[in-house]
Amino acid sequence: MVAVRGEMSWFCCGNAWGPCGSTGHGACGTCNSGSRQHAWPNASAACLSITNPAACGLSLTRRTCGFRHRTTNLCNGAAVTTSIADCGPRTRSFCGERTCCGATCASNRLIDLTPSAYSVIASLSTGLRPVSVDVG
Amino acid sequence: MDRRQLFTAAALGVIGATAIGSLDPAEAFAKPKWDVDPGAPDPNFVEGVVNTIADGQLFVKGSDGVFNRVQVTGATSIWKLTPTTFDKVEVGDGLYARGVRMPDGLLAAESLWVNIVNLDVHISSISKDRMALDHAGSPVMGYVVPGITATVYNGTPAISDMSLLQVGKHVQVIGAWRPGTNEIDIATVYAAV
Repeated sequence: MVAVRGEMSWFCCGNAWGPCGSTGHGACGTCNSGSRQHAWPNASAACLSITNPAACGLSLTRRTCGFRHRTTNLCNGAAVTTSIADCGPRTRSFCGERTCCGATCASNRLIDLTPSAYSVIASLSTGLRPVSVDVG
Repeated sequence: MDRRQLFTAAALGVIGATAIGSLDPAEAFAKPKWDVDPGAPDPNFVEGVVNTIADGQLFVKGSDGVFNRVQVTGATSIWKLTPTTFDKVEVGDGLYARGVRMPDGLLAAESLWVNIVNLDVHISSISKDRMALDHAGSPVMGYVVPGITATVYNGTPAISDMSLLQVGKHVQVIGAWRPGTNEIDIATVYAAV
């Protein structure tokens, strides 16, 4: 797989406080905010029908629960390797959206990391970062 | 000395040798013996609700029922709607913390994010001072905080103008949860327009 560029965000899963309290353990049944995991838009056929990255011109390989990806924050070069634990992000809802760090930009929602994983490579308060994603 | 070592040194300076028991400084300054396996729980990360605050330490009850002690130092960055200080952290707040796990189990915090939420929502209604949001079928009220709430349209610099947001549209909201409620104070709205 050639590294894919896109936007990264974070999501909570598993037992949690506040509005995250009802999220559950994700499509794979293993997702926890405190674990090094991520959501992938093409984790299954059912998942793909929800996220529909093709609507934004993005073709993503089918990768199922437990598959490892390495995500590199294009703002600072920091990287983290995580495994698939959920379906997401809903790429089609943000088609064309772009995130930049100075002149470095990426478009379309590509991957959501758990808070544990996201905070390894960016502050949670940033919300969105341009990244490249490769096989981990 | 790298950032991690500097940070650990700061933690040790604040809490002192007696507070951390038999900690060998050489252990505290050692690089991590292993990285975290993909999919595995991260020992250098804590999630939960603040149960007690004493002597610069937070006693945090994880949502999985496990208690953690989190040490805050002068080197700890703290976010609660905006970058803030330790005295703004309250019992009942939810948090995520990243830091260095000491041999006695204490997490010396490098960063704390207090009550932070990142919600993928639909906008149900908008008024000057609030937005009604639909989060996976659950209503969440988001409050606009003058001077703080900002909107990012397609990666452009954050601005206070929310006029391009539309009812029914999908947006992402970073905010600070008001504990015990379905309400948040909005920090940033990310919208594709």
